[in-house]
Amino acid sequence: MPEVAVIEGPGIFIPFPDAPKRPLPLDEVRISAGFPSPAADYEDNRLDINDYLVRNPVSTFFFSVEGDSMQGAEIFAGDILVVDKSIRPCHGQIVVAFVDGQRLVKRLYRRNGRVALLAENPLYLPLEIREDQELLVWGVVIGKFKRFGA
Amino acid sequence: MTVFALVDCNNFYASCEKLFNPELKDKPVVVLSNNDGCVVARSAEVKALGIPMGVPWFKIQREAKHYGIVAYSSNYALYADMSNRVVEILSGFSPNIEVYSIDESFLDLSGFERQGYAEYGMEIRQRIADWLGLAVCVGIGPTKTLAKLANHCAKKQLAGENGVCDFTRLTTADLTCLFERIPINEIWGVGRQLTAKLEAMGIKTVRQLRDADSRMIRDRFSVVLERTIQELRGISCMDLEEVTPDRQQIISSRSFGTLIYDLADLEEAVASYTARAAEKLRQQDSLAGAVQVMIRTNVFKPEVPQYQKAVTVPLPEATADTRMLSCWTRRVLKRIYRAGYGYHKAGIALLDIRPRANQQFGLFVADDHARSRNDRLMGTLDAINGRYGRGALRLAAEGVEKPWQMRRGNLSPRYTTEWDGVAKVRAG
Repeated sequence: MPEVAVIEGPGIFIPFPDAPKRPLPLDEVRISAGFPSPAADYEDNRLDINDYLVRNPVSTFFFSVEGDSMQGAEIFAGDILVVDKSIRPCHGQIVVAFVDGQRLVKRLYRRNGRVALLAENPLYLPLEIREDQELLVWGVVIGKFKRFGA
Repeated sequence: MTVFALVDCNNFYASCEKLFNPELKDKPVVVLSNNDGCVVARSAEVKALGIPMGVPWFKIQREAKHYGIVAYSSNYALYADMSNRVVEILSGFSPNIEVYSIDESFLDLSGFERQGYAEYGMEIRQRIADWLGLAVCVGIGPTKTLAKLANHCAKKQLAGENGVCDFTRLTTADLTCLFERIPINEIWGVGRQLTAKLEAMGIKTVRQLRDADSRMIRDRFSVVLERTIQELRGISCMDLEEVTPDRQQIISSRSFGTLIYDLADLEEAVASYTARAAEKLRQQDSLAGAVQVMIRTNVFKPEVPQYQKAVTVPLPEATADTRMLSCWTRRVLKRIYRAGYGYHKAGIALLDIRPRANQQFGLFVADDHARSRNDRLMGTLDAINGRYGRGALRLAAEGVEKPWQMRRGNLSPRYTTEWDGVAKVRAG
């Protein structure tokens, strides 16, 4: 073991001054004394609500709801909407839209030259978009969530 | 051949404000610097009014009122999140990307030839518009300097179309013709002073600089400017800097919303800046070996008594522990504080920064056990603040009311980084 010690004279061992360190990975290895876990091969990631609600994180934004015009679509005041901007808005989807300086959540109607934002509550009239009016469909609502005060 | 693209967000801060607020559509919007001092970003409408960048807000009150300019305080939490999203999208377009600033990134497009660089640029532009609602311009060229110049051309519509300008597609004659019309101060790295000196020599356009004698330029100016000339000629001298090098110093300083007279208030401010800087220090897994504290009165008010002082002290042992660092910055502050002055600004700097891995332990300081406990405590602090928002858990020394805090009169909500800031949509 020439790198560990030099021999100086018969029977005298002196530690080699520049001996490289040999760290032993003691901390890294956990040795269990008992029976190995039978579940070790089946370990899975715990469920993450993000995976469930969000498809494309980079283009996903949240909005909170005011008002009751979307009750029929199970969207209530205080709900937080999951809005994905990367989805191309189509007829029939629930969307976040900017019209006349307002942020709205409505169902998009776009058929036969008629463009409108529909409510899901009989108390509210559809909002017809006139030719001279500008409608910006900001993003498509793909989910919602809510926390209870319990 | 190497090919670079520079992707730059148009009117970035103002666009972020407009993105979430439908009332701002077609309105002139400016974003102000810390303490609502100067205009640091302008929407297209404001640019069209001829209001310059950097102008103090109080100086344009009359125009602001007349044109109905809406001013926002800087909402850096929002801008940073949108910027990260842009970078994430860009990372899908090239494996090699350099984030140059909050609203600009270089991409290495070498090898994407077949698709056509300009078409690729259009695709990038479209994706960012669709996914984030932000407009970008794309400049493409064989060097970083040319990519940046091409971006300028795209933005000013001097060349290219639809916000994309591809220099690799222009003939040499076209480029020369174009460069004749661009002043040198638009070149990356040619600042005001350099422009003045070059103009005195008769070099006024990009074309003139490109065709100048590069040896002569090196002798009279610098190797850096010679390299710029090479890059203008299409010879790539600068690679992407993909990894931002760890910072050698971390500075946290700010002007106060109002003048501060009391040591106690200054102590809170300094403790708070120290905590923020220490958090950044731990993020890059480093330790600081020295701290500096600076305080000063308002230099823009020469009629009031003036005082300023900055002192640096080395630490007995390099650390990233907020408590240790703020203990030291507080000591230094006490030493430099003089009563009777109205302080306008304070700051701290963490210096002598080194990787944690190279840590040398002091002879007379905490033992290993205490050290690892302190590390764990700081890790917990960062984790809690990461989860519940900056400053959720902090040293009592940072204060509660923070009378010294920045003036941010019209701050938009943190739409994307705080649950309380989430924008409301009306179902009505």
